[in-house]
Amino acid sequence: MAGRRVALKAIDWMAFAERVPPNQRAMFNNLKTRSDAIAAKLASLPETPAPINWAYYKTAVAKAGMVDDFEKKFAALTIPVPADTETTKIDAQEQEANKNAADYVQASKARITQYEAELAKFQNMIPFDQMTIEDLNHTFPETKLDKEKYPYWPHKPIADL
Amino acid sequence: MLSRLVLVSAPVLKNGGSFGACAVQASRSLHTSEQKKAPVPPLPEKGGQTRHGIIPEELFTLLYPKTGVTGPYMLGTGLLLYLLSKEIYVVNHETIAAASIGAVIIYGVKKFGPSVAAFADKLNEEKVAKAQEVKDLAMTNLTQAIEEEKKEQWRVEGRQMLFDAKRNNVAMLLETNYRERIHMVTNEVKKRLDYQIELQNLHRRMEQEHMVDWVEKNVIKSITPQQARPSLRPCTH
Repeated sequence: MAGRRVALKAIDWMAFAERVPPNQRAMFNNLKTRSDAIAAKLASLPETPAPINWAYYKTAVAKAGMVDDFEKKFAALTIPVPADTETTKIDAQEQEANKNAADYVQASKARITQYEAELAKFQNMIPFDQMTIEDLNHTFPETKLDKEKYPYWPHKPIADL
Repeated sequence: MLSRLVLVSAPVLKNGGSFGACAVQASRSLHTSEQKKAPVPPLPEKGGQTRHGIIPEELFTLLYPKTGVTGPYMLGTGLLLYLLSKEIYVVNHETIAAASIGAVIIYGVKKFGPSVAAFADKLNEEKVAKAQEVKDLAMTNLTQAIEEEKKEQWRVEGRQMLFDAKRNNVAMLLETNYRERIHMVTNEVKKRLDYQIELQNLHRRMEQEHMVDWVEKNVIKSITPQQARPSLRPCTH
């Protein structure tokens, strides 16, 4: 009966908690409680069981050979390790999550470049008190008065004044 | 200042609009020579300096080297007297009317000029302030949006921990199961051996009791009435 196989990776729950977005807090809390319950259960079981006192049983049990027989069979016994079915599923989930994350990060970067372009436009603008109306129309195209649609002053519907 | 500029540039725009929009910042429709791409320098804040509201200061600076400070005044007085004495300008009823109207206009401008100017400037200031507010709000929103996007990217980097936690849980469950199994085996074997011992003990006890009973029974049986009488006699006597 060998001892523990897979070494458990130490998880920094504090750092993990920081990275959780607010709308997934509940899921994170559930995960944490479940993990803690499992860890507590594991800690409550000793690693190896108490050894059987064969000498005492040899003297106590009258039936000849029974204790020796048990002892031999017990020593030869190997308990099968439970099969691991979930790790492959977790790996698959991880791959999918990585892909989703890459897509999201890419979209996010595109958004960032767009925001930065707009920010640069605002920062490089001339101050308002040095602008003429033409400059204003050039910088903010929505302020341009449509002289074809509304040929008479004020060149916009009265309701928009 | 924008409102005054609108009055000046409105006819310019009317003619310039039909030429199509240029990519350059200000329209150059009044420029007849070749286009220069440099940005137009900002317009001056105040108009040209004037003396007494009408005569530009440039005349005084022009005449100063030759005639000193009183030169332009002498020129003006001489010119006026020449016009009046030679009757090039005839004083008639319209002179009185012009003088009265001029007096009223000058009084009105002197009294109400600054307040009207301040009012017009305030109107323009409000427009500029509104535009500035829009610009500032847009800039803060954009910077905030960029910050949030970067934060979300940082959050996404932490996804590895979730899977580590899951794998840990699986490993812990497997380990727990394994330990439970070996504990169960040990306990079962112990139980079997203990059962054997208990069984033996039970047998022994039963044999002992049976033997004791048998011995007792036989002893009682073997007490014949012959032997019992002498021992019972002292009891009844």
